[in-house]
Amino acid sequence: MAGSIPASEPAERRWRALRRAARTRLAPFGALVLLAAVTMAVGAPVVSPHDPLKQNLDNTLARPGRTHVLGTDNVGRDVLSRVIWGTRISLLAGIVSVALAAAVGSVLGLVAGYAGGRVDGLVMRAMDAVLSFPPLVLALALGAVLGAGLTGVLLALGVVYTPTFARLMRGQVLSITARDYVDAARALGAPGWRIACRHVVPNAAVPIVVQASLSVAFAILAEASLSFLGLGIQPPQASWGSMINAGRGYLQQAPWIVFGPGVALFVTVVGLNFVGDAVRDALDPRLTR
Amino acid sequence: MGRLVLHRLAATVPVLLLVTLGVFALLHLTPGDPIDTMMAESADPAVKAHLRRELGLDRPIYIQYLHWMARVVRGDLGRSIRNGEPVIENVGRRLRPSLQLALLAMTVSVLIAFPVGIVSAVRQNTAADRVGTTFALFGICMPNFLLALLLIFVFGVTLRWLPISGYVDPLEEGWEGLRSLVLPACTLGLALAAVITRTLRSSLLEALGEDYVRTARAKGLSEWSVICGHVLKNAMIPVVTVLGLQLGTLVGGAVITEYVFALPGVGRLVVDAVFARDYPLVQGVILLIAVGFIVSNLLVDLLYGWLDPRIRAR
Repeated sequence: MAGSIPASEPAERRWRALRRAARTRLAPFGALVLLAAVTMAVGAPVVSPHDPLKQNLDNTLARPGRTHVLGTDNVGRDVLSRVIWGTRISLLAGIVSVALAAAVGSVLGLVAGYAGGRVDGLVMRAMDAVLSFPPLVLALALGAVLGAGLTGVLLALGVVYTPTFARLMRGQVLSITARDYVDAARALGAPGWRIACRHVVPNAAVPIVVQASLSVAFAILAEASLSFLGLGIQPPQASWGSMINAGRGYLQQAPWIVFGPGVALFVTVVGLNFVGDAVRDALDPRLTR
Repeated sequence: MGRLVLHRLAATVPVLLLVTLGVFALLHLTPGDPIDTMMAESADPAVKAHLRRELGLDRPIYIQYLHWMARVVRGDLGRSIRNGEPVIENVGRRLRPSLQLALLAMTVSVLIAFPVGIVSAVRQNTAADRVGTTFALFGICMPNFLLALLLIFVFGVTLRWLPISGYVDPLEEGWEGLRSLVLPACTLGLALAAVITRTLRSSLLEALGEDYVRTARAKGLSEWSVICGHVLKNAMIPVVTVLGLQLGTLVGGAVITEYVFALPGVGRLVVDAVFARDYPLVQGVILLIAVGFIVSNLLVDLLYGWLDPRIRAR
């Protein structure tokens, strides 16, 4: 009996968290959208009805119909196929840039909170400096120097989101290191790195995961904005932002070029927001408003 | 209050210095030779060498920074490579449309957010509340460029009520000028309105549960007097903070909005400079935007302290 308690407690906690997440009203919709987006991103070569790059100049600006469900664009490419392939870029950009920011920000926050003094001051002032730039303007400037393309976008968005995670982690470190069990570990002679790895990081992880889940949707929006401005994914590769930009010249004749990727982008962002809210409610109910 | 001002000013100085360092580093983050990136490969080597000398790229990096800072402090942000004009003049010319757009967008957002936020909070959990919260979610998740294209499609292309691009100065041609800014201001204002609505609703709900509201109601005040005379005033503090914090979103949104509607503002200048690889102009504009952003955040902080005496006392 005594042996079963440690094994069942985490399972019980996970189950409670899942139940809390499911109770969030719109979480099932968000989960469905996320599932559909991941399926499309992973299975794009199978799900996509046409080659997203194949041009057909005899069938440009074709209305949505049986062959092309979302119509074709100005060079005859299938809009639905491009939307499906665009999902891959959007999810990749959202998840990788936020993961990058979470990793770098967490390390910086950990160092700042743990070291204190001048190191803390320097790291946090640097984070304040990054926060002094409007996010899109900073991403635009970094995109300009790093060059257009997926790598530039990922790095630029990674930099933009890093301060949020650094601040969050630093706050967590300051709060956790003041607790009794950390004092006890210190008194037992545990070295600083061990305390950080065994006690601080695992306890600070929840708010980081919550923040990351909420940030992915906004990173996807930012990637789409950069691609829309021409600094993100370069044609002919399919990205929702660049597709919308390419279609805006044909708004009168072929609005489907814009509205196909537009609806996909909007629904994904709404869905991810619901998922983010559900993750927050499940892992940290105190943050629920 | 004086102590708060001094404290905030002192905290701003190191951030400003790091911002200048970051903006200076922008040019040096360019992969390869920045001059080769800025100019065509076929450009005359003499012209390249001249530009290298003018930008000081032939000196050690710390000397370059010190020289650049010395110029920046004197208000000299360099010259655009494209048109040879000082960066300050380039920005000055573009400032008016951007300020007009920001002002109109703020007006649109306040005109929408206050009624929607108040009704949402006062009629919590009713159909009106659900409409309000759905609007807020819609505004937050909707990308600026998509909303802009949607508005262009409906009001410009389909109904033909409003111009879809271009700028006419409202100070010179009042009605036409306003018409040219309606769609951009709505694009920018709706996103901002969504955030304000959400904040106002939640802070109103919090204030509505306070004891002083019960007292005011017990005194027999009408609901309207309770909301306007007591609740709204106290619920304004988070709204002011959010308005300040949203300034970055407003500037970022302005970049997209000015790009879509072809408005000759500062946001459009950034995009044009980035595409022209006019790095001195990019550096100058980004620095000015960051400084403006820091100053406005500082003002919001001070306003927050002025509105809430507890902040001053800390």
